[in-house]
Amino acid sequence: MIYLTIIICSILGILLGMNLPTISYSYSGYLAIAIIAALDSVFGGITSVLKKNFDIKIFVSGFFGNAILAMLLTYLGEKLNVDIYLAAVIVFVGRMFTNLSIIRRFYIEKWSKKFEEKKKKMS
Amino acid sequence: MRKEKWQVFIIGGLCFLTAASICVQYRSAQSYITKSDVSVQSMSENKLRDNVLKEQENNKKLSNELQSKLDELENLRKTTASNSEEAQALETQLTELNRLLGYTDVKGKGLVITLQDADASTNGYTNDNLVHDLDLVDIVNELFNAGAEAVSINDQRITTSTAINCNGNVVRINNEKVSVPFVIKAIGSPEGLYGTMTRPGGYLSLMENGKIKIKVEKKEELTVSKFNGTHQYKYMEIAE
Repeated sequence: MIYLTIIICSILGILLGMNLPTISYSYSGYLAIAIIAALDSVFGGITSVLKKNFDIKIFVSGFFGNAILAMLLTYLGEKLNVDIYLAAVIVFVGRMFTNLSIIRRFYIEKWSKKFEEKKKKMS
Repeated sequence: MRKEKWQVFIIGGLCFLTAASICVQYRSAQSYITKSDVSVQSMSENKLRDNVLKEQENNKKLSNELQSKLDELENLRKTTASNSEEAQALETQLTELNRLLGYTDVKGKGLVITLQDADASTNGYTNDNLVHDLDLVDIVNELFNAGAEAVSINDQRITTSTAINCNGNVVRINNEKVSVPFVIKAIGSPEGLYGTMTRPGGYLSLMENGKIKIKVEKKEELTVSKFNGTHQYKYMEIAE
């Protein structure tokens, strides 16, 4: 149910994005960093679902909060002539890898357990 | 159950938002590469810059080689000339002609004129506050008129076949691009040249009205560099 919703909504989003106008070069940096933050939130959300401590309020606030904070940092960095957005990218991508490894472990353990049970039944 | 459905819609909405923004960003990034060529342009620019540097290096090497060959030729000429009186006379004639043609560096008393464009005024650059090719032509004419014997502009020697042309925002002299500040060196009587160039109503005083920065200096000794090209002719023959 939830995966189906995610896939359908993503396809709809892509269809909408195809028809939206492109944004100007100076703003594309902000959108890019917001996308990274959003992806990080999505992976964090999946991890929390697997850990069974998913809270929709935390998820939504993290989704928008992280994106807005990342954009503000980028803006500040532009004003101070420091590439602060790099720090945001490192943090978000690092967290994405951590979350991905948790998700991976969870599913591998689940599958290997199933496999062993089948083996036991067979024997 | 009811609460979960509500959550699914929110997650779906967020996925929708993320996917849409990823798509927009991807298309924007693509358009920068193909339309305005931000990254491609800088890449090809770097390549061109590299090529220019390489060619300049090559050019320098070749001109150094040419210089050493010319020195060698000079030495050979001298050694052969020392053998006979006739050859010596020819040698002196040759150096004299080379000097007249501008093939040798020459030095002597003279005048140095430095021309610089006027500062950008509030209404931008107008025609009057830039140094043009025709200004240079007039100044060179006035210098020769006042008895200058050798004249160079930014080390481009004015010879019998020199052309001074406008080439966009630079000036082309002897087919070489030169730009402001123009340093015009002239060998001749410093007082005579100075008087002619700075007289009221002279060309420099007219240029000064356009706020062009002009500096005229008398020099006890200055070197006018030689003509780096060659005089070529195809059609002229000596008339009997």
